[in-house]
Amino acid sequence: MAKPKDKYRVPVLDGKISIPKIVPGASSYEHMIEAQKEDMEALGFPSKLQDGWKNKALGVFKEILDHNKAVRDYMDICVRCGACTDKCQFFLGTADPNNMPVQRQELMRKVYRYYFTPSGFFKSLSNAQELTEEVLKEWYTYFWQCSECRRCSLYCPYGIDTAEITMAARQIMDSIGLGQKYTTEVIHKVFKTGNNIGIPPAALRNTLDDLEEEIEEEGGKGVKIPMDVEGAEVLLVPPSADFFAMPHMESLKGYAKVFHKAGISYTVSSYASEAGNFGKFIGSYQNTKEINKRIWDEARRLKVKRVIIGECGHAWRAAYMYSNTMNGPFDFLDSKYKQPTHICDFTLGLVKDGVIKLDPSANDDKVVTFHDSCNVARGSRIGDAVGGQFTIPRELIKAAANKFVELREGTTKESTYCCGAGGGLLTEEVMNVRIAGSMPRMQTVKEAVDNHGVNFYALICAICKTQFTKVFPLYGLDAEMVGGIHQLVSNAIIM
Amino acid sequence: MEPLNLTTAIYLLFTYSVGLIFVIGVVLRIYQYSVTPQPIKIMLTPAPLTKSGAFARVLGEVFFFKSLFKSNKATWVFGYLFHISFFLLIFMHFLRHFIYSNPLPWWYNIFVGIGIVCGIVMVLSLFLLLMRRVVIERVKFISLFQDYLILVLLMLIGLAGLSLNYVLTPSALTVVDNQLDPYMNGLLTFQFTNIPSNPLFLIHYTLVMLLILYIPFSKVMHFVGIFFSPTRNMADNPIEERYYRPNAKDLSI
Repeated sequence: MAKPKDKYRVPVLDGKISIPKIVPGASSYEHMIEAQKEDMEALGFPSKLQDGWKNKALGVFKEILDHNKAVRDYMDICVRCGACTDKCQFFLGTADPNNMPVQRQELMRKVYRYYFTPSGFFKSLSNAQELTEEVLKEWYTYFWQCSECRRCSLYCPYGIDTAEITMAARQIMDSIGLGQKYTTEVIHKVFKTGNNIGIPPAALRNTLDDLEEEIEEEGGKGVKIPMDVEGAEVLLVPPSADFFAMPHMESLKGYAKVFHKAGISYTVSSYASEAGNFGKFIGSYQNTKEINKRIWDEARRLKVKRVIIGECGHAWRAAYMYSNTMNGPFDFLDSKYKQPTHICDFTLGLVKDGVIKLDPSANDDKVVTFHDSCNVARGSRIGDAVGGQFTIPRELIKAAANKFVELREGTTKESTYCCGAGGGLLTEEVMNVRIAGSMPRMQTVKEAVDNHGVNFYALICAICKTQFTKVFPLYGLDAEMVGGIHQLVSNAIIM
Repeated sequence: MEPLNLTTAIYLLFTYSVGLIFVIGVVLRIYQYSVTPQPIKIMLTPAPLTKSGAFARVLGEVFFFKSLFKSNKATWVFGYLFHISFFLLIFMHFLRHFIYSNPLPWWYNIFVGIGIVCGIVMVLSLFLLLMRRVVIERVKFISLFQDYLILVLLMLIGLAGLSLNYVLTPSALTVVDNQLDPYMNGLLTFQFTNIPSNPLFLIHYTLVMLLILYIPFSKVMHFVGIFFSPTRNMADNPIEERYYRPNAKDLSI
C-alpha cells in the first residue's frame, strides 16, 4: 500500500465526521525519525538496538506487567466489543485499522499472549505473536501514531486506556534503544537548559525584556516579567513556547498583566522555564519525575508561596496529577492555595474577587470558541468542583469576551477530539498523521466558522496552539484565529 | 441406593477439576490485580472526588454499562440483554435447587416459563452480537477466534438448555429433574448419586463445564478486571491526598 510521500494529503472539510472504510496499511509508511545517540544516552537508554534486544524487551515488559496495574489489567480484559473503533481521530483521519484503539492495543496484546499467557500455546488460533523485528517495526510505527489523548478510554466499557499501553510500548522500545528523535531531544534539552526549546538563561532574559517592551508599547506601563527572583509570592511555570512562539507569547503578556494589576509578586525561573513534561509522552516514570522535580526544587530555592502553571495541557496533567506522587508533599508551600494552581483558575478567582477588571467589549471584534485540550479535559481537574476544567476556562472566556459559541456537541468537554499532535507527535516527519488526526476537530471548527462566524479559537495548550497554527492554513482557515485564553484576557484587562 | 455408574464417576471428576481450576484461576487473577501497584493516578476525568464516589462509578459501569451506552447504543442493547438474561439464568438455576420439591409448588411452571424467556433472549442477543462481528467491517476486522468461540459456546449452552424444555417430553424432563436435584446436592455433601443420563442434559452440562473451565484463561475475566480498572476506580484527589506506591518502581507511568 505504501506510496511515496510527495506532498501533504489534506482531507476536504464537509462538516461530517464519518467513519471511513478500513484501509489496511494506510498510514504504515508514516515513521518517526529515530532518536540520536547523545539524547538516548542522556535519558538513560541505550543509544541503539543491540544484540539481545528481544530478551531485554521482554524483561522490561514483564517488569511493567508486575509493576503497573493498568497495563496488567488492560492486557487481559479487552473483549473486543469494538466500542472504541470509531472514537480515535487517527483512525477517522487515516482509515488505517491499526489506528483503531483496540487494534493498536492488539499490537502489544498479541506479544503478551505469546509470552505471558497459556494461549501462547495455540499461537495462530489465539493470535499470539512472537516479538520479531517485524512486530517491533509495527510497534514503532503505530505506537507513535497515538497522541495518548484517552478519548478511547472514555468510551471503553472497562476504561481501557490506550495511552497507558502506548506509554508502556514506548518505554519498552526506549529501553532497548529504539527511541523517537523529537521527544528524546526535547527531554535532553530540558535537562541541559531547563526548557524544551533549549534556550539558556541569558537569552531568556533578553526575550523577557523584549516582551516587557512590547507590553509597554501596547499600553501596559510598568508591567514586568521577573526572572529568578527569590522571595516572590508566586513561581509561574509556563510552557517554554509561551516565551518564544506565536500565538503563545500573547498569553504570556496576559499572565504578566494579570500579576501586575493584581499586585502579586511573581517570578519565572530560568531553571524550570518549562511546564511541559515530555517524559510522560515516552511513558518513562523516571524522566517524568526528574523533569517535574525541577519545578518543585525551584519553588524551594526561590522560597515562593505558591506555584502556578501556564496554559499547557499535558503540563497541567503532569503538574496536577503526578507532582504530589512523584515529588511531593508540598508542605513547604502555603497551604491556603492549591499546589499547583492553574493560571485560568488563578485569573478567574481575581476577576470574581474584583481584584482585576476585564472589559469584554475589548474583544467585541471576536467570536470566540473553545477547544478542550485532551490532557486537561480527560486527565486533570481545574479548581475545586468536578468538571472545573470545563467551566473555569469557559467562565474566564465569557468574562473577557462577549461573543462565545460552543463547538459541536459530542466533541467538547470530555468527548473532545485531540488536536492531532499531542503525545510527542508534534514533529514534521509525521505531518500527514497530524493533518489526518486533526480532521475531526477541523470539521467542527469549519462548521463553527461557517455557521457562527467564529474568528477566534481559544486554547489552553501549547501543543494545540502550535498544531492548529500549522494545520489551519492547510485546511484553508486563518492561522491568526488561533490563540490562548490569556490573549483574550490581555486584550480585555483594564490597566 | 443405586450404585454409581461410570458416566457419573467421570463427570464427578470432571466437575470437581473444573471447579478447582475455576476457583484457583479466578482467585489468582484477583490476587495478581490486587498486588500489582498502580504507579500514578490515571483516572479519566471528570471523576468523582472521593473513594466512595469512584466505587459508585465502577458500579455504574458494572450494572448499567454506562460508558458503552455513551459509545454505541446497539452494542449496549445486545450486550445488556445478554448479560441480564445470562445472570438471571445463572441465578434461577441456583434458585431452582431450593424450590424443586415433590409435589412442585403451583407457580413452578411460571418460574420455568421465565427461564425459557430468558434463554430465548440470551440466545437471540448472542446471535445479534455474533452478527455484529460478521457484518460490521471494523468489528469483523478486530474479531479473533476466541471472540467467536465464546459466543458460539454460550449459544450452544443456551440452545441445549432450551432443547431440554422443547425436545424432551414433560415426563422425560421430570426424570432428569428428579435425578439432577440429588446429584447437585451430592456434589456439595459428597453423598454422590448418579447424574441424569439424558444425552441432551449431558450436552448442556458438559458445555457449561467447558465454559467454566475456559473462563480463567479468557476475556471473560473482564468481570474481575473491571473492578481494578484505574481509569475508573480512582478518586480525583491527587492534591488533597498524596498518592504514593513505593513498590511501583521507576518504570512506565
